[in-house]
Amino acid sequence: MPLKALDIYKLLPRKNCKECGDPTCLTFAMKLAAGKADIELCPYLDENAKSVLGATTRPPIRRVKLGVGERSFAVGEEFVLYRHDKTFYHPPGIMFVVSDTQSEEEITAITARVRDETLTRVGADLKFNGTAIVNTSGTIEAYAKAVAAVEKTAGLPEVLVSENPAALAAALVLCGSYHPTICAATPENYKQICALAKQYACRLVVRASTLEALVQLAKDCVAEGVPDILLDPGAKTLGDFLYRSTAVRQLAITRAVPDLGYPVYLDATTFEDEDAAIALGIVKYASVIVAKPLSPASAKAALTLRQNIYTDPQKPIQMNPGIYRVGTPGKDAPVLMTVNFSLTYFTLQGYLESTRIPCFMLIVDTEGLSVLTSVAAGKLNESLVRDAIKKFGVEGEVNHRKLIIPGYAAPLSGRIEEATGWKVLVGPRDAAEIGEYLVQEWKP
Amino acid sequence: MIPDPNFGWTGTVGEVILGATRSEGGTRSRSYRIGGGTTLPFMEKDTAARPPLIAFEICDDPRYWSPIVNEYCGDLIHDPAAWAKTAETAYGADLVRLCLTSTKQRDFSDIATLGKTTESVLTGTALPLIIEGSNEPKIDSEVFQKCGETGQGERLLLGTAEAGRYRSIAAAALAYNHAIIAQSPIDINLAKQLNILLKEIGISRDHIVIDPYTGALGYGFEYTYSAMERIRFSALKGDTDLAMPMICAPSDSLTIKEVREADAGSRDAMAVEWEFTTSLAAAVAGAEIVCVRHPLTVKRLKEAFYGLNTRTGGA
Repeated sequence: MPLKALDIYKLLPRKNCKECGDPTCLTFAMKLAAGKADIELCPYLDENAKSVLGATTRPPIRRVKLGVGERSFAVGEEFVLYRHDKTFYHPPGIMFVVSDTQSEEEITAITARVRDETLTRVGADLKFNGTAIVNTSGTIEAYAKAVAAVEKTAGLPEVLVSENPAALAAALVLCGSYHPTICAATPENYKQICALAKQYACRLVVRASTLEALVQLAKDCVAEGVPDILLDPGAKTLGDFLYRSTAVRQLAITRAVPDLGYPVYLDATTFEDEDAAIALGIVKYASVIVAKPLSPASAKAALTLRQNIYTDPQKPIQMNPGIYRVGTPGKDAPVLMTVNFSLTYFTLQGYLESTRIPCFMLIVDTEGLSVLTSVAAGKLNESLVRDAIKKFGVEGEVNHRKLIIPGYAAPLSGRIEEATGWKVLVGPRDAAEIGEYLVQEWKP
Repeated sequence: MIPDPNFGWTGTVGEVILGATRSEGGTRSRSYRIGGGTTLPFMEKDTAARPPLIAFEICDDPRYWSPIVNEYCGDLIHDPAAWAKTAETAYGADLVRLCLTSTKQRDFSDIATLGKTTESVLTGTALPLIIEGSNEPKIDSEVFQKCGETGQGERLLLGTAEAGRYRSIAAAALAYNHAIIAQSPIDINLAKQLNILLKEIGISRDHIVIDPYTGALGYGFEYTYSAMERIRFSALKGDTDLAMPMICAPSDSLTIKEVREADAGSRDAMAVEWEFTTSLAAAVAGAEIVCVRHPLTVKRLKEAFYGLNTRTGGA
């Protein structure tokens, strides 16, 4: 159980010396309780207080940053099992595999794809995150060449996949200053691998097929001086991954087994249906997912699922209220009113575009609530619509006075007519039917 | 020793029986008992837990169906009985869901034909059947009465009851002992409210399957995913008004922009990927029946569910 601010305060020196940067010990205690400060900032803590506080004030899952620069990303620092309890903060990095048995052209092409490919959805640019370079050949020279080819192409986060310390050492000469991740330390090789990881301040994946062995290995590696650990639960089936990954998350956030408090690593390439493993990793707590370069369909689905699951459930993405044009609408074009929940907007806009009928979308400010929710909450009402028509000058845009409203807003139709003087037409509930509706019903 | 994760659940998901074999008074080759979960999906101690079921959706008027599926299935789409049989023998579905899209026509009134279609599908396939009823509230009562009567003894799953529209379907379910789908718009409180309404008019809990409504991947799926998770653990925490199995129908998947506008060469792949990803994530959140429309999605889901139900060691 995390300590409350007052319990922490009792362990502090209570001198209000301000050396930690906070005005008082109490405000520092409050920050510690929220996981927003580091106990190391207090120079006057005794050993006992340090050990008590250290275990409870650090986030239950360690934050690990992969790579450097603009494309680096942080994982870990999650607090919940269910996204709606708070939110998931750090989307998993998806890394494409390159192998040192591929030609330099192939390696360059895959790396460039990770660097450049962007899927723009709901106003966000979604990208893949890095490469995992595999020492398939088993030779040192080929591995160094592959790493050099990746390095030449992009400054992306890298995972070095090899259990050969000599090959890793040759690779680290080339990329060791960019915080690469080494994969993987096992009970057999961890001492040698840790020596390299420590020398270059690498992140380290530890792999074992039981949680017990995983905890032991993580402890051993930390003791060797490598604090930035990722856990690979060594799953052979989707069921293994789901069970172990859920167990790691649950036991870490409840601090039942604090030594499991590290981000989870998933190698999706070992599964027959790689897409299934990726989807499972995204919904069930993976922080780094390694996959073969994905087909266009798989790539779109993976990036979209990741965006969905990692959207903050408490902050719906909003559009700016206003008048939006689809195509080049004229004076007799239909006007469709809807809410400023971005998902509603983008969904409706997509269907309107495919109808090829130019029109206006009047987006009113429901604070990001959907049609259904805003009607239920009374947020969407006749005065809001009336004021929006005025504010955005809709009367000057068209020479008719007809407003199409969403099907779920039907109960408001009479009141909107009274408040605005416009004739209200009730559209379909489902945006998918808007095309058919306009063809059948719209006569300016 | 590392302990097993402890969630402290006290409740279980209730069970619903779908389909009836000869010995159970019907003509199906098998019946299913769904529900019964005691923890999060695929986390049961006993890994012999039942995997989610895959329902293949067909319709009686392909004008209202996805052109991608119509093209893939060819002439079958004009013969629901043959289509249902193919779903069973070639696609590998666990259930067939017949959507009565013909009721989308303006002023539809040919109720007798719906009865004939239902009958032919029941003859065409020996799998348990879901019937997705009328698209027009005005004819609900006749439609459900006709389908319910035609499927008497078969323990159909009838869809779909909503808050403002559940009396006709409930009446048919009560009269002929079928189960029903109760759908609410991605809101756990409304889901609970509807279950209570149904209880009040005599539908017992073991005849209700919850449909929390599935927004397609990228178009509201995150809300569906969370609603499903919340319904599942409300059940596990002992809320009997939410302790029913869930169904997920990502039918919107085939009409979204990404799939609609995919070029001819990748349309099938895109449609399957979207149905597959949505269904898999929904199953992990708690759906026990997933409904798909593209034949190629069925086998992929089957294998993924098998993998999720297989564990090679302890935790």
